[in-house]
Amino acid sequence: MDRFVDLAVSAVLLAGLYATMAYGLGLIYGVLRVVNLAHGGVIMAGAYLGWILHGWAGLDPYLSIPLVVGATFLLGMAMYRVLVRHLPRGPAGGPASLLLLFGVWLVLRNVAYLLFTGNDQVIRTSYSTHALPLLGSFVSVNRLAVLAIAVVTPALLHLVLRRTYLGRAIRAVAQNADSCTLVGIDVERIYTLTFGIGTALAGLAGLLSATIFSFNPGFGSGELLKSFVVVVLGGLGSVFGTGVAALILAIVEVFAILVMPSYLTAAVGFVMLVLVLVLRPGGLFGQRVLG
Amino acid sequence: MTGAPMLEVDGIDVFYGDVQVLYGLSLEVREGEIVTLLGSNGAGKTTTLRAISGLRPPRKGEIRFRGRSLASLPAARRAELGIALVPEGRELWPQLTVRENLDLGAYHPRVRANAARNLETVLAMFPRLRERSSQVAGSLSGGEQQMCAIARALMSEPTFLMLDEPSLGLAPVLVEQVMRTVAELHASGITVLLVEQNLRKALEVAQRGTVIETGRVRLEGTSAELSRNPEIRAAYLGI
Repeated sequence: MDRFVDLAVSAVLLAGLYATMAYGLGLIYGVLRVVNLAHGGVIMAGAYLGWILHGWAGLDPYLSIPLVVGATFLLGMAMYRVLVRHLPRGPAGGPASLLLLFGVWLVLRNVAYLLFTGNDQVIRTSYSTHALPLLGSFVSVNRLAVLAIAVVTPALLHLVLRRTYLGRAIRAVAQNADSCTLVGIDVERIYTLTFGIGTALAGLAGLLSATIFSFNPGFGSGELLKSFVVVVLGGLGSVFGTGVAALILAIVEVFAILVMPSYLTAAVGFVMLVLVLVLRPGGLFGQRVLG
Repeated sequence: MTGAPMLEVDGIDVFYGDVQVLYGLSLEVREGEIVTLLGSNGAGKTTTLRAISGLRPPRKGEIRFRGRSLASLPAARRAELGIALVPEGRELWPQLTVRENLDLGAYHPRVRANAARNLETVLAMFPRLRERSSQVAGSLSGGEQQMCAIARALMSEPTFLMLDEPSLGLAPVLVEQVMRTVAELHASGITVLLVEQNLRKALEVAQRGTVIETGRVRLEGTSAELSRNPEIRAAYLGI
């Protein structure tokens, strides 16, 4: 029973992280119809940014959130303005943007190897080893903080998308860009901002991951694939769908440990991905786009 | 009641990729007029409206609005000038609510502060939309969607309104209603350019008409002249 509670708690904590990174990928795909293969690279970059700020400037990873989010937001906007903007979109443009963004990822990764070598790093803080008793088991304070941020971030995003002119414009562009132009929405500006927001979410997810896991320049590939699983599972409909899908993936992965050797649990997500694509290609919650 | 030229389309060539759709097309709409653009499917009516709204800029020729060339003005800035288009097929944002669709109609800076007032005006005009305001636009009937599309365009306080086949796919009673709405909007002072398949109805509400054929102007005249024209009667009115 204790074991069960332990696993359930770690599944919930993991789900928050998955939801944060998946939402960035889903938002960019939903609005621009571009699969951002550089997502994994930005997750890695977010981890290293936090590590640099912590190691060199002594900045607590939680205090560095605005800096890391701001930097990756700018990085995302630059990636859109300089590269993605010039590519064809939609089904016809698929291969071009996949290759280009995969290239961006390779560049990011190799720059990281050059700067930081391939050694594993961690962000270790004074509270890294603190734990609180919860439901009869112990939960790391840090993981709780990560969960809190992973819950607050999508909630904020949801509010922005629902309540502000900018958010409504982002959703409208995802559904019909020409009509947006007609009412005076600068569609290119919305694409730029959306790419920035999606990329910043990846940066945030990377930073939060770095407080829990060790990482190296190859970090991010597993995270990208998990983001895919969550996006496919949850569809592009809502923040809520993404959260539920992240929870499902995390629960399945965590509980898989009970029935199979741990080196196989990483494959569980891909099995789910294939099953969902075969059985419910529109995702578990239908095909609405940012409705 | 008509004044200075409001819209001047001057010899425009428009392409889709390598395919030329408009050939040196010219058109004029004067302040306060209601003009209809007629022609069969594929003649280039929709393309003409897309060129004016900036979605499909001409490769040659010029479009002027109140004497000012639109060539260097991006499409997204044209709503600010008072130009609005109700596109063919409504083109609403199907998963946003009616209310959100309307609110976004008042997106550009000149009118955003008036959004609440404009919303009241359009909801008073289309009471049906008030009942439906929290429903997603995709769930509306065809007639309601058309009202929503017109209302969204009105939210931007246009002085020049283009409507692309607003009666398409509507039941006859709704066609009447849409045409009455168009006439009312014109009476309220909005200059209108109407593209319509239903030529009889279009000539009823319009003062002048231009007939285009394979991207070129074929005939021009007042509605009365066009209704009498034997060619038109044979080709479009089936008389």
